[in-house]
Amino acid sequence: MGRHTARETRPRDATVSPARLAWRSFLRNRTAVAGMLACTLFFVLALCGLVLTKGDHPILDPRQVRLVDKFRPPLSLPTPRAVAPEALPRLGIYPLGTDELGRDVFARMLEGAFVSLSVGFVAVGIAVIIGIALGGIAGYYGRARLGFGTVRLMTVDTLITGLIDVALSFPSFFLILTVVAILRPSIWNIMVVIGLTSWEGTARFVRAEILALREQDFIQAAHALGVPGPRVIVRHLIPNAVAPVLVSATLGIAGAILTESGLSFLGFGVPPPDATWGNILSDGKNFLFDASWLTIIPGTAILVVVLAFNLFGEGLREAFNPRLRQL
Amino acid sequence: MLTFLLRTGWKKLWTLFFISVISFAVIHLAPGEPSQIDPMNPRFTPQQLERYRKAFDLDQPLHVQYVRFYRKLLSGELRSFKDNHPVMPKIVERIWNSLPLFAVGTLLMWCFAFPLGVASAIRRNSVFDQVTTVIVFALISVPGFYLSYLLIIFVVQNFHVDVIGLRTFGRPDTPGVLTLMDRTWHLVLPSALGATAGIAVISRYVRSQMLEVITADYVRTARAKGLEEDTVLYKHALRNALLPFVTMLGLLIPGLVGGSVIFETIFAWPGLGRLGYEAILSRDYPIVITLNFIAAVLTLVGTLLSDLLYMVVDPRIRLEGGEV
Repeated sequence: MGRHTARETRPRDATVSPARLAWRSFLRNRTAVAGMLACTLFFVLALCGLVLTKGDHPILDPRQVRLVDKFRPPLSLPTPRAVAPEALPRLGIYPLGTDELGRDVFARMLEGAFVSLSVGFVAVGIAVIIGIALGGIAGYYGRARLGFGTVRLMTVDTLITGLIDVALSFPSFFLILTVVAILRPSIWNIMVVIGLTSWEGTARFVRAEILALREQDFIQAAHALGVPGPRVIVRHLIPNAVAPVLVSATLGIAGAILTESGLSFLGFGVPPPDATWGNILSDGKNFLFDASWLTIIPGTAILVVVLAFNLFGEGLREAFNPRLRQL
Repeated sequence: MLTFLLRTGWKKLWTLFFISVISFAVIHLAPGEPSQIDPMNPRFTPQQLERYRKAFDLDQPLHVQYVRFYRKLLSGELRSFKDNHPVMPKIVERIWNSLPLFAVGTLLMWCFAFPLGVASAIRRNSVFDQVTTVIVFALISVPGFYLSYLLIIFVVQNFHVDVIGLRTFGRPDTPGVLTLMDRTWHLVLPSALGATAGIAVISRYVRSQMLEVITADYVRTARAKGLEEDTVLYKHALRNALLPFVTMLGLLIPGLVGGSVIFETIFAWPGLGRLGYEAILSRDYPIVITLNFIAAVLTLVGTLLSDLLYMVVDPRIRLEGGEV
C-alpha cells in the first residue's frame, strides 16, 4: 500500500510543468498578485466605460456640457433648475466633480479608461507582432544568406539584428513626437507610431529564446517528421518562447499609457473629443490651483494603473526566470 | 582586437547609413508632397513653400535630395526655417545648457540607484525590499510631468523660491558666489526629476543582477570557504553584479537629447530637448531632423563605447571578440 502511494505521488511531482511552477511562484509574490488584480479591475472598469459612455444616448454622458456647473469639486450636487433636466447627470451627483466645461469627470474618466487601455493594447499588439515575426525569422532562418544571384551579401540574422540596432538608436520619445507632429495626432497615428517604435525588445528576446530552443531535441524531432519551417516556428518554437513576450507586453502596455500621457502634455496626444487619461490630466493641469482634482484624479489613476501593469509584468519576469524564482 | 574593431566599425557605419536615411525620410511621411504639409494654414505662405523646396531640394529625385541634405548638414550650410541661422551653432549652444542638467542627473542616478538596488537584493523579501520595490515602481509609473507639477507646487508654496529656468528671473547676472548658488539651485529640481525614472530602473536592474549573482556557485564556494558575509557580498558578488553597468556608461549618452524633452519644457530650460520641442511646434524641420540624427549618432557612439568598455572589464568577452 505504502509503495503504491509513493509511486503515485512521485510522477505527479515530476510532471509539474514549467508554466505551473512559474504560476505557483508568481502567486507567492504578493505585490505581483496585487498588480494582477488591479489590472483585472482596470479591464472591468474600461469595459464598463465602453458600455456606459458610448453611443448617442449613453447612460453617463462624458460630452454633456453644463456651463453653470463648471469646476464643481468631487461629490457635489448639480445646481437644481439651472441645468436642463435632460443634461442632469444620471447619478444625480458628480462623483469626481466637473471640469472647465461642466463635463462630468467621472464619465470622462470612464470613457478615458477604455481609450487609454486600447492605446496601450493596440500599440503593444503591433509591437509584439513585429517583434515575434522578426525575432522568429532571425532566430530560425538566421543562417540563411541574402543576396542577388551568386553574390551573398549578408545573413538574415545580420540584417535583422542590424534593423534592431537602427531602431534602438533613435531616441524613441523624440521620434514619436516628430512623427506624430508631422502626421497629425490622431488616436490611430499614436497607437501605430508607439507600436512601430517599441518592438525591439520583443524581437531581441524572441530571437535569443529561439536560438536556444532550436538546438533542442523536440525541434530536431519535428524536423525529422518533416514538419515545414513556418509550422515549426509557429507551433513549436513561439509557444515555448512566449514567456519573455508576455513580460515585455505587460511592461509595454504600461509604457504606452505613459507615453500617451507625455504626448498629451506636449500637445500631441489623442485629440478631443476622445478623452484619455493623458489628455484629461494635461488639460487639468491648467487649473491646478482652482480645481486641483482635475489634475490629481487622472494623475493618480495613471499612476495606479501603470504601477499595476509594471508590478504584474515584473512578477511574471521573476516567475518565469528560474534563477530569480522565489523558493 | 583589431579585427573586432574593424568589424564593429563596419557594422556601425551601415547602421549610421540606415539611420541617416530614416532621419531624412521622416519629412516625407506627411501625406502628399511635404511642401504641402499644412495647406490650410494661412501662415503657410508661398515664400515658406519656396524655402522648404530649397532646403530639401524637393524638385530633385529622392537620392539627390538625400545626398544634398547631408552635404548641407555636414558642411554647416543647413539653416533653421525660423530665424535663418545655421543649425549647428544653435544646437551646440543648447548642448552647453543641457550638459550640466545631464551630468548632475547622471550623478544622482548612480549615487542612489546602486546602494538601493544592492540593499534590497541582500534583504530580499524583507519589509525594506517590499517597500522600496513599491516606491521604485511608483516612480517608474508616475507620469513625469504630473510628479514635476506636484513637486514644484510643494517647493514653491513651502520655501517660496523660484525654481523655473536657468536662474532666478530678473536677478542681475553678475559673476560671484551668489550667482553660482542661484544657478546650482535651479539645477536641483529638474535634474532630480530627470533622474527619478533612471534611479528606479537602474536600481531594479542592480537588484536583479545582484540576486542572480548571489545564487551563483562561486558565491556559495566563497561562503563555504568560511569567508565573512560582508566579504562574500561586497567583494565576490557585487563586483560581478556590477559588470553589466559598465556598459551603461556608454548607453547613457543619448539621454542628452531624447530624455529631456518633458522636463526641459516644464522647467523652461533652454536645452536640447526644448529646442527640439520648439522646432517641432514651429515645424522647423532642419533642426528636427538634425536633432534626431545627432541623437542616433550619439547612441551609436555610446554602444561602441560600451562594447569596448565591456571588453576591457570582462576578460571572457575578449575570447569571443572576433565573433561579435
